[in-house]
Amino acid sequence: MSNYMDREQKNLLLEIMEYSFALVETNLYLDTHPSDEGALKLHNAYSQRYQELLSIYEAKYGPLRYTQMSGCPWAYINDPWPWEIDFDN
Amino acid sequence: MWIYEKKLQYPVRVYSTNPALAQMILEQFGGADGELSAGIRYLTQRWTMPTNEGKAILTDIGTEELAHWEIIGTIVWKLVKDASPEQIKGTPFEAHFVNHGKSPFPHDASGVPWTASYINSKGDPIADLHEDMAAEQKARATYDWLISISDDPGVTDALRFLREREIVHFQRFGEALRIVQEEMDKKKYY
Amino acid sequence: MDYGYYDRNRRMELARAYVPFQRLKQVYDPKEALMKGTLFPELYMPYKKDWEDVKGGGYYE
Repeated sequence: MSNYMDREQKNLLLEIMEYSFALVETNLYLDTHPSDEGALKLHNAYSQRYQELLSIYEAKYGPLRYTQMSGCPWAYINDPWPWEIDFDN
Repeated sequence: MWIYEKKLQYPVRVYSTNPALAQMILEQFGGADGELSAGIRYLTQRWTMPTNEGKAILTDIGTEELAHWEIIGTIVWKLVKDASPEQIKGTPFEAHFVNHGKSPFPHDASGVPWTASYINSKGDPIADLHEDMAAEQKARATYDWLISISDDPGVTDALRFLREREIVHFQRFGEALRIVQEEMDKKKYY
Repeated sequence: MDYGYYDRNRRMELARAYVPFQRLKQVYDPKEALMKGTLFPELYMPYKKDWEDVKGGGYYE
């Protein structure tokens, strides 16, 4: 079963998941506190780091979003798909 | 519009093969207080929710619920993907299996299929936000029950994450209600 | 928007529900936030297995 993802790729993906989650939290907080400057600073700092991590990941392993560029063949379809990933091995 | 990002919101780990548990987890996949209900409910209410804050919170929490629906489907799939027919026979999952094989399907733990009757959108922001707050508590309570019967530590861990999300969502809908109430109060006085 | 004003000065009406506004203080780092399910310590209310509880399952505090 092609659910194998090497340690390096997995660790980078996990870091992306961590920043993506932090951004969901600042997003929801800002939706009800749109003028909170502290929250905006935090959100923007996470956003910057998140985009850096995504650039590195997508350049190496292919797009995580349909909007991004790819080499040939189209790497977006590569396994493992998210529900197939074994996060421990 | 919606964009898919090719990752789960939470790293799901499942350590056992357990079709009976999988059938119970389906309660949050296609049940009345599950993630699909939540996502469709909030996204449906968007059109008539006043205030930018209200529209934003319904959009963003609704979208997050679809990501949770994906997590639940993943938990179910991981619990049954290696199950033999012998392991499935005699469990509550057997009835699901003869219809759907190992594929997660939106019905509840008893096999009742998902229906829009599970959701409400009254076109009234006060009613809608109270519906949403109630929905978050019902989902949280469902996770309480599921956590109490889960014997797979990976599944329990993912359920705890999802349960905490319901608490945060309740807070946000409560804040949205304050904002909408304030806005409607303002409009009472000319 | 001063959310403190919202909570301090607002007269509460009958037949209404009021949830206090959260005010941003400390946050967990992203790794811990993902594990716990929230960025905010004041919103972290984990499940407690309390069989004495009337509800029979658990509740959050």
